[in-house]
Amino acid sequence: MGSTTSVAGQRQHAHHFKNGREEFEACKQGMWIFLVTEVLFFSGLFLAYAILRVFYPEMVAAAHHELDWKMGGLNTVVLLISSWTMARAVSAAQRGQAQKVVSFLLATFICAGIFMCVKYMEYSHKIHEGLLPGSLFSFKDLLSVDKVGLFFSVYFVMTGIHGLHVLIGMGLILWIMKRASRNEFGPNYFTPVEMLGLYWHFVDLVWIYLFPLLYLVS
Amino acid sequence: MATSTVQHGDNYINHSQGIMSWLKTLDHKRIGIMYLFSILFFFLVGGIFALLVRLELLAPGMQFMSQDKYNQAFTYHGAIMVFMVIIPLIPAAIGNFVLPMMVGAKDVAFPRWNLASYYVYMTGALVAASTLFMNGVDTGWTFYTPYSIRTNTSAAWVLMGAFIMGFSSILTGLNFIVTVHKLRAPGLSWDRLPLFVWALYATSIIQILATPVLAITLFLLILERTLGIGIFDPKLGGDPVLFQHFFWFYSHPAVYIMVLPAMGVISEVIPVFSRKPIFGYKAIAAATFGIALVSFIVWGHHMFVSGQSAFANYVFSLLTMFVAIPTGVKVFSWLGTLYKGSLRFDAPMLYVYGFLIVFTIGGLTGMFLATVSLDVHLTDTYFVVAHFHYVMVGGTLLGFMAGLHYWFPKFTGKMYKESTATWAALIINIGFNVTFFPQFILGALGMPRRYADYLPQFETLNRLSTVGSWFILLGFLVVAYNLWSALKSGVKAGNNPWGALTLEWQTPSPPPHENFTNDPVVTEGPYEYVGEKALMGVNGAV
Amino acid sequence: MSHHDHHEGHHHVLSDSTALKTILALLSLTVITVAIARVDLGVLNFPVAMFVASVKAVIVCSIFMGLKYENRENTVIFSTSLLFMLIFFILTFGDLLTRGDVYVKGQIIPAELQAAGPSKFSKPWIESPEIIAHGKGLFAAQCTSCHGDGGAGNGPAAAGLNPKPRNFTVGEGWKNGRKGSQIFGTLTKGLNTMPAFGSLPSEDRWALAHYVRTLGPHSAEKDSDADLAKVGVDPNQEGGGGSAEKSIPLEAAIEILSES
Repeated sequence: MGSTTSVAGQRQHAHHFKNGREEFEACKQGMWIFLVTEVLFFSGLFLAYAILRVFYPEMVAAAHHELDWKMGGLNTVVLLISSWTMARAVSAAQRGQAQKVVSFLLATFICAGIFMCVKYMEYSHKIHEGLLPGSLFSFKDLLSVDKVGLFFSVYFVMTGIHGLHVLIGMGLILWIMKRASRNEFGPNYFTPVEMLGLYWHFVDLVWIYLFPLLYLVS
Repeated sequence: MATSTVQHGDNYINHSQGIMSWLKTLDHKRIGIMYLFSILFFFLVGGIFALLVRLELLAPGMQFMSQDKYNQAFTYHGAIMVFMVIIPLIPAAIGNFVLPMMVGAKDVAFPRWNLASYYVYMTGALVAASTLFMNGVDTGWTFYTPYSIRTNTSAAWVLMGAFIMGFSSILTGLNFIVTVHKLRAPGLSWDRLPLFVWALYATSIIQILATPVLAITLFLLILERTLGIGIFDPKLGGDPVLFQHFFWFYSHPAVYIMVLPAMGVISEVIPVFSRKPIFGYKAIAAATFGIALVSFIVWGHHMFVSGQSAFANYVFSLLTMFVAIPTGVKVFSWLGTLYKGSLRFDAPMLYVYGFLIVFTIGGLTGMFLATVSLDVHLTDTYFVVAHFHYVMVGGTLLGFMAGLHYWFPKFTGKMYKESTATWAALIINIGFNVTFFPQFILGALGMPRRYADYLPQFETLNRLSTVGSWFILLGFLVVAYNLWSALKSGVKAGNNPWGALTLEWQTPSPPPHENFTNDPVVTEGPYEYVGEKALMGVNGAV
Repeated sequence: MSHHDHHEGHHHVLSDSTALKTILALLSLTVITVAIARVDLGVLNFPVAMFVASVKAVIVCSIFMGLKYENRENTVIFSTSLLFMLIFFILTFGDLLTRGDVYVKGQIIPAELQAAGPSKFSKPWIESPEIIAHGKGLFAAQCTSCHGDGGAGNGPAAAGLNPKPRNFTVGEGWKNGRKGSQIFGTLTKGLNTMPAFGSLPSEDRWALAHYVRTLGPHSAEKDSDADLAKVGVDPNQEGGGGSAEKSIPLEAAIEILSES
């Protein structure tokens, strides 16, 4: 497998597919089905959040003030831009522009890195303050608020799992960058880049909802 | 239906040699066989736990284990059987082999992910099983909080194992959906798809939608145990009933992951051994989807006495009753196929007959349990235990046995001894009923489940049930002996010993590495047992 | 759909200008998201926030993820996830929102426990019009469903009971006897299909006993000291004797547990 030919993206399709087009469409559908499982995976967390919000609105209101919406907003902007750079990378791969693929993937990687740095700052602040999940909660100003630890449980699990997906995405970006730099992608084969794109946009999608729900509730 | 020239000698078994060629295979047939052996191994382990449980219940008082050990025994029995055996059983051990062939494809859509799913399964299974050498687990396979948070056992590792195995299930489902969508042979329209494929397709959709919720549930429970996040822990302000909502949102559809493929096998086997087209093809396909859909909106019937609201009880009870409609459509369609057919009594069909009786009983008793006013008395008694064993063992396992005996000649190119298979089928069917029917009565009399001991008035029925379990063991030993002998020295089976019309039978047994020598083209439905084809004899007719 | 042909390798390529317009739209919507969060729209706050987020989501799905440019198969597949997430939410909330008073905010002190305040009757085993009146109120709340409004053992729930509830209007057939202490004892421990009411404060049980005695033919039987001793009462002491069982009704327990 793999190729370093003068024409970008020449590759034999797998034997059980009729042609490369069929293989591409199958991979794309496979990725969408995987994203379906991701939606259902996160749905449990959104449900837990929704329950806290519906039944303990004052607690949620009190707790969420400890989240910095500016940092959350910055992360939203950064992630959206990373979706744009990722879309540009996919287009470049489709056009066989290996250099641009690498550049835009790098830009995406950097955006993701910024996201994780901001996340790191948020987390370390909270750990320092004792704004921790459930039984670990020890932030004195809110200790009297009933069930406040639950909010931070949901916060940490949701943003934590999301952050894990960002990290995994960063690893995948590096891998695809490497393959792009070897001129593996062109108009006849860009499947991995497109798959990465779908995954990355999904990660962005989840954050599009997490941001207002966690940071902007009033 | 399709043509294929007979290949000389080259098949998927001898295509390449050595254990690494199996462990690194991308061939769906080999992956299916590996799954088959692994799953049957875990079936043995889970079965041993069952025999231990039944042995302890042979008489009142504790026979040879403590109450704590008993809790562990039934937990391992349940967890192993559910997660390691019954859920992957038909899709992974039979579906992997048969589905691509039935749609005329050379492999599943993503062979590498298929192999990955096997290793993910083994990893999860070994992680969970390793707890047998740690502190075990005693929560019941349902892991209800708050006890599952407090128990000083190795529950977290079992949860982790089940979490990992869930991904295997997802990968299998994902692969099947894309295969059915994208890799069907020319002429294989949706209305010509074999019903086994329909069944696996619907099952795969359930796997995709439901399993991730199990994943997040188990994940949260692991966090609950290790970090005390509090979402399900009443001591920290959480809700243990919420755990049950999360858990059963997956676990109810999961039982349809278990049974739909078995129903698919039944739909496949009946026309062949009645020499008749299936009655109500479209109805069965539609009913399969109906069952899959309804399975997602009824989970609260496991929670009637959990503290769930009365309103939710009404709603879930009513919705649960609806599942009887598509199920009934299927049962009557099968009966309609048998009616005026030339009925055979080969081993696959014996399991089918057993299934029809046993699954119907199981399903009907589900209606008892769906009725809130009855369930309040029957829940957590042996009535429930009997119900789910009737549908899971009587349903899924008998369906699997039918499929195993049906496709055995295709997998191996050998035929087993029919008389031995008949005896085994009879012993299993009878043993099953002797084991579990008394449990309906015990439950109605009030014997609670998951109790290590029972009141003296329950002794006779318990004894009967335990003896029945020994017959089940005997029956499976006979099957194992029969199939193993056939593997070693059975009579050569031809391409199509049953005279079936689906694509996998139009190619040699065992099949070549590429499945078909010529790309199949489909020109008619899979059950056209009319005219000459209805007369095509069974056993060596082609 | 902008598929121009289906040749192998010819797929829709997102133009750079479309990509740019899309990100600008998304960023603008983000500004709107933040701005609108500072405006209090009351009950609309949440739906509006979700609406804006969903507009952004649809833009990402349809343009960046390409659903707009292909046939509907993958859109249907992805939408299915949302449908089932909705089912999960709706049916779970369907339970949680209809539980009754379990999720009411703040501390709940159930009526039964509130009644266990300072005792109104210092020696409740002594009959008096006041305690009979107290018993009458309790009877209506606790007993009529089985024993009927008049105590004839013909309440609506009696149909399903075997043996039938005691008919208080007749003098015969009282298994444990008709003295005050005997009725008190039956109430405390239960009898056949009648559950134990030991969780009621003992003065309430005495009140009920006195009231129930008035429903039937007059009985001159009085409790002797020995009778009282049998139910743990020392007539020389104050208090109800036979103290309430150290248990509370299950609903009260669940409430307290979930609020704590």
